[in-house]
Amino acid sequence: MDGLDPLIHPPTRLHLVTMLSAVSEAEFATLRTVLEVSDSVLPKHVSALVDAGDLHSRKSFHAGRRTTWVGLTNVGRQALRDHVAALRRMIEVFD
Amino acid sequence: VASIGCALADLDWAHTFPLESNPAHEDPDDRLMALAVADQARRRLTSGLRLPAGLYLALGAAVAVQLGTAAYGIAARQLPGWLSCWPGWRFSWAWQRSCCTGSAGPTESGSTVSPARSSSRLGPPPRSSTLARSPPGIWAAFDSLWWLVAVAAVAGGTGCALGARHWWHAYRHDPAGHARGASPRALGGFAALACLGFPALLFFG
Repeated sequence: MDGLDPLIHPPTRLHLVTMLSAVSEAEFATLRTVLEVSDSVLPKHVSALVDAGDLHSRKSFHAGRRTTWVGLTNVGRQALRDHVAALRRMIEVFD
Repeated sequence: VASIGCALADLDWAHTFPLESNPAHEDPDDRLMALAVADQARRRLTSGLRLPAGLYLALGAAVAVQLGTAAYGIAARQLPGWLSCWPGWRFSWAWQRSCCTGSAGPTESGSTVSPARSSSRLGPPPRSSTLARSPPGIWAAFDSLWWLVAVAAVAGGTGCALGARHWWHAYRHDPAGHARGASPRALGGFAALACLGFPALLFFG
């Protein structure tokens, strides 16, 4: 796929890892709100990316609520960088 | 045969990514759009982040306390002096940690997301620079120039607060480029400097 990362390429995952590249960690509810996806969709994407080592997640309690924090790993950051570079190369070729 | 091959390719892709589209069929506009939308999502997240009111003042005060107590503790070279370092470091660390947490602001629908329910943790401000601000106060403390220790501590705290403010503005301009704070190499350099410098000050001071 010309350098594209098949795991990151789907739009929701690309949006997710791009958002996480700007913060150290983000709470699950924040991601769901900004991405405008349902409760059932986001965990699937997060799980796939955590399994691949692109994301890390941890549980914590805050104000009596159980919260999940998700962040981008160094592997994921590099994968995003490579993927975006590949996308830009393709766009330049077509231009 | 070609149609079967194409169908198999589609089937394989659909199996791999059941929730998304096939990138093999995308044109450059789709890819450009994908990047633009991803960037918009990132901007939506970061534009909603707010730092607590009065944070820079509190951060500056915390670092000033840290610098002052560290200078006194190192110059005293006795257990009570060393113990006095701890509250300063602890106080400063707590405030610097709070500086790293921003709450997500109003959502697209106009409702407000409470910080407890929804927040994003930012990268660290350039906290390593605190180490670079320590030597003037320490030298003044060795000569018992306590007014100079206070001046150095306040100057260091002010510099740290201004540095954090500068970092925040830079972050708002380029979130991805400034989300990670100081590089591991820079932190390692400052740690090595501290490991070598403080014992040297104790020994030769």
